[in-house]
Amino acid sequence: MDKILLMGQANVGKSALFNRLTGARVIESNYPGTTVDYEKGRMLVDGEYVELVDVPGTFSLEPKDGAEEVAVRMLEEEKRATVICVLDASKIERGLYLVLEILERGYPVVVALNMWDVARDSKVKIDAKRLEQILGVPVVPTVAVQGEGIKQLVSRISEAAPVKVAGVIKRTGGEKWNSLLTRDGT
Amino acid sequence: MELTIDQRWDLVDRITKETVEVGAYKHTLKDAIADITVRPKTGIPFAIAVIYGFWMFFSTFAGFFTDGFLVKVFGDHYIPWLGSVFPGKGTWLFNIFAGNPAVFQPGYAGDICFEAGGVLTTGLFMPIAVVLPAIIAFYLVMAFLEDIGYLPRLAVLIDTVLHKIGLHGYAIVPTILSLGCNVPGVAATRALETRKQRFMMMVLLGVFVPCGAQIGMMQELIPEKIGFVFIALIIGYFVVGYILNKIWPGQSPEMLIDVPPYRMPTRGNVWRKTWMRTTSFLRVAVPFMLLGCVIVQLLYLTGGMAHLGHALSPVISGGFGLPQETVAPLVAGFLRKDLAVGLLGGIQLTGWQMFSSVVLLSVYFPCLATFVLMIKEQNAKEFGATLGVLAVTVFAYGGILRLIGMGLGVA
Repeated sequence: MDKILLMGQANVGKSALFNRLTGARVIESNYPGTTVDYEKGRMLVDGEYVELVDVPGTFSLEPKDGAEEVAVRMLEEEKRATVICVLDASKIERGLYLVLEILERGYPVVVALNMWDVARDSKVKIDAKRLEQILGVPVVPTVAVQGEGIKQLVSRISEAAPVKVAGVIKRTGGEKWNSLLTRDGT
Repeated sequence: MELTIDQRWDLVDRITKETVEVGAYKHTLKDAIADITVRPKTGIPFAIAVIYGFWMFFSTFAGFFTDGFLVKVFGDHYIPWLGSVFPGKGTWLFNIFAGNPAVFQPGYAGDICFEAGGVLTTGLFMPIAVVLPAIIAFYLVMAFLEDIGYLPRLAVLIDTVLHKIGLHGYAIVPTILSLGCNVPGVAATRALETRKQRFMMMVLLGVFVPCGAQIGMMQELIPEKIGFVFIALIIGYFVVGYILNKIWPGQSPEMLIDVPPYRMPTRGNVWRKTWMRTTSFLRVAVPFMLLGCVIVQLLYLTGGMAHLGHALSPVISGGFGLPQETVAPLVAGFLRKDLAVGLLGGIQLTGWQMFSSVVLLSVYFPCLATFVLMIKEQNAKEFGATLGVLAVTVFAYGGILRLIGMGLGVA
């Protein structure tokens, strides 16, 4: 494995996860935009040290500010990287958008449904199994600040593989996927 | 295969429909608190209370350790002891390491901690006895506010005001970080959207926002006037911001920020952040402080300081109405602001001179570390403009303060 990038929206807990995974110490705070430059560390995956990069938060791969530019450049330079996509489980829509963008570019992805506790408290129920089935990549609920789900996340990194988005569309079900594929002449 | 933006959102929609189930949400106490702190009517008094509480904690904590304990340790025991055991009174070596021999005479009436000026006396007293307690207190509260999620709410509240100078509420985040240390504050400007906003923010931070170390030093030296120093700086922040926004080309679009839910800070993270920031202060600041003391002492000993004071006296004395001796803090200010303010403690100044010197030191030059980072983050044109703003600000403040002082009959 070449490198692992931690990516996701601002303030979903990437830095907290980074500290958990590497035992390193980067500043984590509860506001968007804490990390404005990338930070590197090493983590153990299946007995091997792999470089892990804490990438600044980004909403999409079309950068809007300096920190997002750093994030997108990072992804483009690391063609062979595996991406851990960190989502705020209490509002996964925006995170999923980024997941799809990264999948479209052909990167192997693992999804961490972070802040699982917050989602539970605000009565948001996510069927992680079903999500995993649809996306075709590992999906692991985590609570980074408490260390929950971290072991499982690490154990499933090796299962990350590139996925075809057409397949994702197909797996969202029914005949409706046809309309999505054919709209705009795709 | 690449999807269009719409198709991607469509797909996200389908996926969430299949996997997410949103239950009936109950309004909790947390939501009630969240409401109170962002609605202007209740939020502004709350914000004032938070800032007041912040300040009370800061000054009490720092005062307890500095005045109640460390000043006595240094002033009554360590510094006199060092002066008595350090060999070669009257040599350059003594002057550099222990300080001015005059302060070690029995029965010396002045403030030995600030006036000795040696590397091992005042050079250690300033970072350890004055600045360290101040920044520990500061970083503790800041870590707490950061982790609980209050900063984005403050940003929402202050949004309207900052809009008047072409910035948005989020600018409060780099500003508050800068109150700890300007370096992370300047780095945090990267989260702003346009070049113009980033440039403006860097200028305002570098010129008008004093760092925690400097605030600690001001609190020790002029606790009764520190409020006025802040007022002078806040006025400048807005005036210069307003002007820059008018004349600097570029856009300041609306920026949407996410207000995260309140969370209980974990004790581990608060301690860890305070520890990380404090140790990084010690690593960066102490060597610079010591180096600054050596340079200042050497300039005194070689007569360089007198020459410099004489050469700059048309500006310092003629323009700003300050004694020539303030040239030493001005020199030290290139390295560190806390050192510069501390050196004022060793000079005989009237109350008004002290006040204007502190304000001028705050605005005149960012410390070396901030300066280096600004060179990295700005292009040539922006950097030139930053220096221009600095120069204009110093002269404007120097002149205006002199006029006010004359009007009040104190300068």
